[in-house]
Amino acid sequence: MIILANGNTTEVAQRTEDAERLWVRVGDLPGATGWQMKPQGMCLGEMCVPLPDDKVEEWIADAEDWVWMCYSEFADMIGQQYARDGDVWSLGSVPDVRRSGLEIGIAPDFEVTERSGDTLRLSDFRGRKVVLFTWASW
Amino acid sequence: MYESIGSDRFELISVAQDSGDPKAVGRWFDRASPTFRCVIDPTHQISSLFGWVNVPSAAWIDEDGTIVRSNEGTYPGESTVRFGLGKVRFGDNSFARATRDWIERGADSEHVWSSTELAERLKPVDDDTRLAEATFKLALHFEAVGDSERALKHFAAAQRLAPDNWIYHRQGWTHRGALYAGLKVLRRSNHLQKNTDRSFYDPTGLPGEDFRRFTQPEWLWTPAVRRFKQLLGRQ
Repeated sequence: MIILANGNTTEVAQRTEDAERLWVRVGDLPGATGWQMKPQGMCLGEMCVPLPDDKVEEWIADAEDWVWMCYSEFADMIGQQYARDGDVWSLGSVPDVRRSGLEIGIAPDFEVTERSGDTLRLSDFRGRKVVLFTWASW
Repeated sequence: MYESIGSDRFELISVAQDSGDPKAVGRWFDRASPTFRCVIDPTHQISSLFGWVNVPSAAWIDEDGTIVRSNEGTYPGESTVRFGLGKVRFGDNSFARATRDWIERGADSEHVWSSTELAERLKPVDDDTRLAEATFKLALHFEAVGDSERALKHFAAAQRLAPDNWIYHRQGWTHRGALYAGLKVLRRSNHLQKNTDRSFYDPTGLPGEDFRRFTQPEWLWTPAVRRFKQLLGRQ
């Protein structure tokens, strides 16, 4: 199974049972979705969302020798959209993250690979003016 | 623009948003032999983050990491592109001029926006917009693995969900060929210009902005036809 999220493509194991929903092994969550399961709930960076008490049993399953989380249910709860074709799942942006920074004018940070092969992080340029320019050959 | 303003005074990050053939982007970079930062963002992550729906787009980010201006249609100058027996002119110098002013004068530049002005210009993001984004990424994935049929299916779905996102249209059209995409862009931008109150790019509001941006294609024989019509008119 392939998960597309935050510009990354991650191949993860698929739960054979209940293939209609997106089940992800808890250990695969950070790499595949950006979210991490912690005692306070699901966390993305500094933002944490508690899991509803009445859902924990349904959304977290001990099956096929692993602990799984039903990510599609969690995505529905937080309003994250996703599209699916076969065993490829594509996750849209997380609503709160995408807007909140932009609305107060904070440039969203990103990490991309330079043509030279180096990693470029926008926040590395603090203290300098930056002109960010996008284009395409088409 | 970068060298003339002074490369020691700011950082220019040039983001190529091409999926598909990385060589296409490589050729452009090599031709320009740039001295600035060049990155390739095949999944259009940066446009999603900044809420841009077309290219070229640009943001000015100040020393504190605050966006002080963000626009679409930010051509670095006026250019001409030739295709087959025709050519089109596009772009203007207004953005480069304004950028120079901001680099010189910083927060005192009249072109700087407050965070309120920036927020007012942000495009609304609803569930369809977010679903379109996920669907577009699905299309890019299938394009990358060579599954053209599924790529086209998801490009079409993303275009239906977010009809005003020109990146989804243009990347999808490009899957059918660069010439096809180029002609579609011209037709669509001229159609919007003539028949609707919308434009292909949101106006930047910068002095000297040329709203048309794209001219009608001019064919090899257009000057001769124009001359012929003039002669007829004189008779």
